[in-house]
Amino acid sequence: MFRKKDLLIIIPFLVAAGILALWFGAKPSYGIAVVEKDGKEVCRFDLSKQKTSRIIDIGGSMNIKLLLEPGAISFYRSDCPDQTCVRTGRLTKPGQAAVCLPGKVSVRVISDGNSVRKYDGYTG
Amino acid sequence: MLKKKKIAVVLALLAAALIFAVPVCIKYSRGSKAYETSGYAMGTYILQTVYGENGREASDKASEKIHNLENEISWRINSSEIAKLNKQAGKGSTAVDKETCSILETSLDVAEKSDGAFDPTILPVSSLWGFGGGKPHLPDENKIKSAVGLVGYAKLEIGADGRSASLASVGSGVDLGGIGKGAACDTAVAEYKKIGAKAGIVAAGGSIGVYGTKPDGSAWNIAVRDPDSTDDKSSAMGEINISSGFVSTSGPYEQYFVSNGKTYHHLLNPKTGYPENNDIISVTVTAENGALSDALSTACFVLGREKGSRLLEKYGAGGVFIDKAKKVYVTDNLKEKFKISEDGYKLAD
Repeated sequence: MFRKKDLLIIIPFLVAAGILALWFGAKPSYGIAVVEKDGKEVCRFDLSKQKTSRIIDIGGSMNIKLLLEPGAISFYRSDCPDQTCVRTGRLTKPGQAAVCLPGKVSVRVISDGNSVRKYDGYTG
Repeated sequence: MLKKKKIAVVLALLAAALIFAVPVCIKYSRGSKAYETSGYAMGTYILQTVYGENGREASDKASEKIHNLENEISWRINSSEIAKLNKQAGKGSTAVDKETCSILETSLDVAEKSDGAFDPTILPVSSLWGFGGGKPHLPDENKIKSAVGLVGYAKLEIGADGRSASLASVGSGVDLGGIGKGAACDTAVAEYKKIGAKAGIVAAGGSIGVYGTKPDGSAWNIAVRDPDSTDDKSSAMGEINISSGFVSTSGPYEQYFVSNGKTYHHLLNPKTGYPENNDIISVTVTAENGALSDALSTACFVLGREKGSRLLEKYGAGGVFIDKAKKVYVTDNLKEKFKISEDGYKLAD
């Protein structure tokens, strides 16, 4: 039969396992933003690691600027006539994407391996 | 005594291994190897995620096929079959391939059943507004009136051989913008199947197609974009779980412009020549065919909830209608697959 003394052996293992599980399995993460211009990747940002906000100048024919924030990225400005990219708003989850069609610049968020993709796709 | 201690240690280790392994396994099964690609076609952004060892091949082939399709059905490409059909308007028939013909047939079918709420011959009107590539602007009222007179699906005829089409009047023209993105999803899914990918999802503008079973075995979880969020416009108002098929959404919130304080969006009523302004702010349609889901979502937006629901019944399609009061109407065949995920939206009785 188990004695109280045995618990002293079991509990540290369980606590250690719990901590490891939390560290590897439930670490909060927002994913990685992949920025593409004319279909080719120009840069990527780990949204989980952003501590401050800054403007990323992508340039191009539509003079595009992105706003990189802790856990989010968005089109900050574009000279395109329809402004669909700017209106798309902040991308915060794997699976989301925003695109400036006239400027041929896209931003999509992919999983970084730690982040859970809640949605497989977005309609609308 | 020593034996009991050993058993305790082994049990503790086993329990620890379980506690550690379960969440990690769940995490990695969710993040199973997937090949993601993006590109531009059909006047929109195409995003693909394909699972399986041949995911890359399936995705690349699907992209190629979508570009081929665009080269045949886009009225903006001079060498396309649709551009040739438009140039021949009032003069005779034009040869079209099987795929183009099938899309034209679906267009005409939805046009007839929706009493022209969706109309593939809307080009004279749509080209005036400049959505989808040009600079959107408010056209002259008289020009809109004249253009509306040239619109009418009855002017479009498909040859009995299924390999030719014609437009009866000079000045008429076909614009497949309301069905092309869904058709692109059909093309991609057909390639995933042909090449033998394990599973895949393709998003072309507001349309989505899914194929196969995801690595974790769960249904595809499709977010319906929140049509009315201000801070985070990319957020979802709800989600649809499907194991196969296609989903398309039409809403005025993405392509629009403001002129003299008035908002004009891209969902045009073929009969008036102006953006349709009823109380609907988003319509999502599910169907077993991407071209159909795309055309139906456009038609349902123009028709409104009651007539739109009746149209969906004719095709056995599902629908989610959202009105300006944020009331959500879901067709009976979709009620178990759809749920609201955003505060502020309420299911209608």
